[in-house]
Amino acid sequence: MASTAATRTAAGAAKVVKPVFSRDLDEAKRRVRELYRAWYREVPNTVALFQLDITTRQGRDKVREMFDKNKHVTDPRVIDMLVIKGKMELQETIHIWKQKTHVMRYFHETEEPRATDFLSKFYKGHDP
Amino acid sequence: MAARVLQQCVRSLARPSLRLFPVNLALRAAVAPAVTVHRPFSFAADSRRMRWLGQSRISSVELLCRQYGDLPPLTLETIKDRVMYVLKLYDKVNPEKIQATSHFMKDLGLDSLDQVEIIMAMEDEFGFEIPDAEAEKLMTPEEIVQYIADKKDVYE
Repeated sequence: MASTAATRTAAGAAKVVKPVFSRDLDEAKRRVRELYRAWYREVPNTVALFQLDITTRQGRDKVREMFDKNKHVTDPRVIDMLVIKGKMELQETIHIWKQKTHVMRYFHETEEPRATDFLSKFYKGHDP
Repeated sequence: MAARVLQQCVRSLARPSLRLFPVNLALRAAVAPAVTVHRPFSFAADSRRMRWLGQSRISSVELLCRQYGDLPPLTLETIKDRVMYVLKLYDKVNPEKIQATSHFMKDLGLDSLDQVEIIMAMEDEFGFEIPDAEAEKLMTPEEIVQYIADKKDVYE
């Protein structure tokens, strides 16, 4: 009883947890911006080194798309984790540990987009 | 040899300018720095150069200065022009709607990542790094101009 009461009051107050890298949201956003800068400057080198068939602008739009996918996140630790993953991808791209196919996987060229409206789902066979 | 040439230069400096043939000014301008920078190699060349100097009056001091390669000095006007030019080239903003005090997020409706791209374009234009701690505060073209003027010691 006492323990559940304590956890309820703790859940009511803000939980204090051990940070991954940044202590608050501003610092996490700063890390995101630094990562974006690094990726933005890296895209032309990537297109040249891997001899990709995309333009620099398409590459940069794709980088922006990947960043916008996680725009809604507010937890600093989750943001830090995403930044760490982004840095790992960046390192692999800079050092050419990846190959052309791994970089082009971001572009989903051979995948069909999933159907969203009812009629397309009906034609495909209702796979929710 | 060199002393005689230098004396001639000093005497022509002291006298007021008297341009005989404006067409030959370019020739004289080409000759004059060569005279001061290089030492004359022979008497014949020296006398030829002295004859040229005797005939022509070198007009201004700048022609006898050494000419180094450097960019023109920055002024607030030029910084502002360059900043606005770079902003107009950005494809996510409407070129007519940009003014010096238009806020990126509130007036132009840009994202924080768009603002990062704009600051990176400014870094490329002016050739020096802008750290992120200060870059996140620059939200209008006016502030960018002020920051660059601070960093480059440009003042009125």
